[in-house]
Amino acid sequence: MNVKIILKQKMKFKDPYLICGLPGIGHVGKVTIDYLIKDLNAVLFGEVYSHFFPSYVLINKDGLVELMKNELYFWKDKKFKHDLILFTGNTQAVSPEGQFIIAEEVLNTLLTFGVKKLYSIAAYVGDKPVEVPRVYGAATDPILIEEMKTYGVLQMGNGNIGGTNGLIIGLAKTKELNGMCLLGETRGYQTPSGHTVVDIKAARAVLNVLTQMLGIQVDMAPIESRVDQTSEFITKLEEAESLMLKQIQNTTPKNFSRYIS
Amino acid sequence: MSKTIWVKHFRNSKLNEPIAIVGSPGLRSIGKLTIDYLVKKLQAKLIAELYSTYFPLIFHTKPSYASHPRLLGDAGVSIRKSELAFPRIQFHSSTFPDLLLINGYHANFNGQYAVAEKVLDLFEEYNVKKMIVLAGHGGKGNEICCAATNLKLIQELKEKYGLEVEYQGSFYGFSGLVFGLAKLRSIESICLFGKTESTSGEAESPDENAVSVILKYLSRILKIDL
Repeated sequence: MNVKIILKQKMKFKDPYLICGLPGIGHVGKVTIDYLIKDLNAVLFGEVYSHFFPSYVLINKDGLVELMKNELYFWKDKKFKHDLILFTGNTQAVSPEGQFIIAEEVLNTLLTFGVKKLYSIAAYVGDKPVEVPRVYGAATDPILIEEMKTYGVLQMGNGNIGGTNGLIIGLAKTKELNGMCLLGETRGYQTPSGHTVVDIKAARAVLNVLTQMLGIQVDMAPIESRVDQTSEFITKLEEAESLMLKQIQNTTPKNFSRYIS
Repeated sequence: MSKTIWVKHFRNSKLNEPIAIVGSPGLRSIGKLTIDYLVKKLQAKLIAELYSTYFPLIFHTKPSYASHPRLLGDAGVSIRKSELAFPRIQFHSSTFPDLLLINGYHANFNGQYAVAEKVLDLFEEYNVKKMIVLAGHGGKGNEICCAATNLKLIQELKEKYGLEVEYQGSFYGFSGLVFGLAKLRSIESICLFGKTESTSGEAESPDENAVSVILKYLSRILKIDL
């Protein structure tokens, strides 16, 4: 099994939009999708397993073993023209080859459901502390770029979008599926042991834009309370980083010359 | 060499729906040591060995079970009692009760899932319906804790044996993957985690005390004197 996609039920969708957010920097994509799944009561309809995922399993708080996996949820509402398919998971493939193969297979499967547009959620890593995160965007065609701008999204001129969240928008373009990638601005901190620091503020910024674009109502109160909790932690990390930079500057001789190669 | 995983059968298994017991050289080698002890104590018979081009003899990751896509290791053979031996997974059988004892081995990143799937294919051939995985954890809490593939099994472990769910987090390597993939195949499985401490630099150095604790509980679960 290089990639195994298990669909739990036969589905028919009404002009669906696909929204993708796998774990990555700041977990911006994953937090955004998880929040939508919870608030909209989206229903799980598919699971993706792969040899390209990290080779460990998770033991959860109830003592149950879980394989690393990606999941597909759907949300339907008669009032909306488009059903939503939400793609997330507890991991993404480790190697470039795996990321290509999984993204390709998932897209191919979902295209059979008539997906009309893709929204991929990722992180935009800045080099300065982020007071109010901005949302950057890239798209498969100029019309979508202009559309993004009307929602206050800043066009991403140059840069890279690493991992599956970026790759999937590139693959979508090759399959003539239109879409955009929305990137929440984050400092992209990691703990000393290498764990990703979840940036709720960045996810909230993306959620504000995305829900407006989709025209759906989402209760933002729960994420607001989480913003306060995580902001304090991130502020401490920023202070520690700033202090460290000052110490480096103070201990570096003013006439210190560097080798340039 | 076109095949990547192959199995050599030594004798026919006469087991009837055996319980598979799985261990591998993971944290403090608790799983492997417990299987070694069971094989010896129960005078289990070697029925098959699984070999793979994904098995490094020399691991480039430390510990061996922390696989990495760019650190695939080096192949090779070991000499055991003047005989050449490939790295391998061994399957032993024992009766009363019918047990299939698996001494695992960690494949490199490219083959970990494939090897675990092949082992589960063999379980289907041997008609395995239940599995017990043995491993160690370096967390806090009691001397032993448990995990399972469903909540009914967890409840049973709590009520019958006083085991608790304490460890939460990742479970690396061969045994973890066999445990997780067994869930997809509806093989009812439990895991006993012996509490241990990782020693600096040598995560796989033996912890005999944790093995003794696991054996104590295993003896009660299997209703055999160990």
